[in-house]
Amino acid sequence: MADTMARFTSLMVSVCATILLLAIVVFIARESWPVWSSYGLKLIAGTDWSPLARPPQLGLGTMVLSTLWVALGAMFIAAPLGFSGAVFLAEFAPAWLAGVIRPVLNILTGIPSVVYGFVGATVLVKWFEVSFHMASGESLFCASLVLTVMVLPYIVTTSEVAIRSVPAEYRQAALALGVSRPYVALRVLLPLAKRGLLGALILGFGRAAGETMAVLMLAGNTLHLPASWFSKGEPLSALIALELGTSESGSTHYQALFAAGLILLIILFIINLTLTIIRKDSGRVVRKS
Amino acid sequence: MFWSAGLVILLVLTGIIGYLLLRGGSSLTLEFLTTAPKGLPLGTGGGVLPAIKGTLLLVLIAVLAAAVPGLITAIYLSEYGESSKFKVLVNITIQCMAGIPSIVTGLFGYAFFVVYLGFGISLLAGGLSLGIMIFPVIVLTARDALLAVNEQYRLAGAALGVSRWYMLHRVIIPQSAPAILSGILLAMGYAAGATAPIMVTAAVISAGMSGGLMEPVMALPYHLYILFSQHISMEKAYGTALLLVLLLLFLNITALLLKGRHRKGGY
Repeated sequence: MADTMARFTSLMVSVCATILLLAIVVFIARESWPVWSSYGLKLIAGTDWSPLARPPQLGLGTMVLSTLWVALGAMFIAAPLGFSGAVFLAEFAPAWLAGVIRPVLNILTGIPSVVYGFVGATVLVKWFEVSFHMASGESLFCASLVLTVMVLPYIVTTSEVAIRSVPAEYRQAALALGVSRPYVALRVLLPLAKRGLLGALILGFGRAAGETMAVLMLAGNTLHLPASWFSKGEPLSALIALELGTSESGSTHYQALFAAGLILLIILFIINLTLTIIRKDSGRVVRKS
Repeated sequence: MFWSAGLVILLVLTGIIGYLLLRGGSSLTLEFLTTAPKGLPLGTGGGVLPAIKGTLLLVLIAVLAAAVPGLITAIYLSEYGESSKFKVLVNITIQCMAGIPSIVTGLFGYAFFVVYLGFGISLLAGGLSLGIMIFPVIVLTARDALLAVNEQYRLAGAALGVSRWYMLHRVIIPQSAPAILSGILLAMGYAAGATAPIMVTAAVISAGMSGGLMEPVMALPYHLYILFSQHISMEKAYGTALLLVLLLLFLNITALLLKGRHRKGGY
């Protein structure tokens, strides 16, 4: 009897949890629907953002580009660092050092993004201002650097698992052939673990693209189309955080912010689904003998 | 090359904490912890007591709202789901939910709790938004904790013919309790440090100490953001940042230790 009750309750609660996720998506889509139907794709392709003008200009292109630029830039720096860190932990680190680094990685993921943003703003931005004589040091590059630090723990941990899951036979065979251990790591282990490493990068990209506080404090928040990595920009998340409080609920401005949220949500869902697919298949690539 | 990557990771953590200790250590006094912000503009003097209280209340509401449904969903996924299609769907949904950026959770919280249900910018709206944000974290950590219980116990239980529910509440949940608790602590840390959802649903620059559910609150991470972005007081900002990091270090290290103990306890 108790068993049937427990089964039923757990099923019901899970149904509710699933509905909650759907509700979030539906709610955000519904709130932004009016601007999608009247602006259509101009919302993503347009680059003018002045929601209070008449008629309102609602181009989110600048923000979409900033988001992608910041997140891809972070991946560009984090990939080599993170993969080397993972190889180090999996292959070279003495047990005591790995035993120190793993909890450190864990703790790094626990530091809130507003603190990363704050430290980045007081250290990096100051440094850029002083050493390059810039009027203000914020840039997409700054935001990328701090995001690198933030996503590094995720990339290292996930890639380490991928590298460790390469069967020991490959290592033994390669070492028996007399090649050096760095060569084994670079030419044998990394290629064999490439699917897992790709998964780590995608995970990191998702984290970086959805991050709010650090980019809000570091990217500079200007509404111009970013011309390079070193110009300022305002990613989607920062736009929402800055303008939601001042937008009148139900106005075009408000609806456009929900459209920004929907775009961000869709980017993240695509990333997560890809990740699920990659994880599902990853067992098949390396055949365990 | 590989060694340097490993050392960079260590340097980053010690660098951040060392830097904050160095710059914020002097402003983290007893007075800072026990008084309300003072001065003009507000925050240049005094302390952060209302922000500490606000953060604690927000986390409390989030955990109250998310822990029980989270645990039950985890139990469904690990014990009752068998291999049904619906279980796969729930798993993917929870993964997707874990990937929702916190600002989008805030956006939903604003539209639903603040505007649609008419809570206004309030403690309740912020706490519930944080609850939605930490829900997938609790589900995933609790699911893994339940699945990590030694298969021997399940087999022995099945061989003795006891019901699944009996096994669950007499053997499996007590066995995995430290790891589940560790997951909840991690989720609390996540909620305590999150800024984006509360800056649109709950937090304000200054609020009293009343702590009513329908009133806006101050919160540590938002207070830090405001002190910095409005150039109110860098000295107080360092102190707030240090306090926030110490709070999260405490939560995360406790969580790690609990999980470590659990791993040694099993066999």
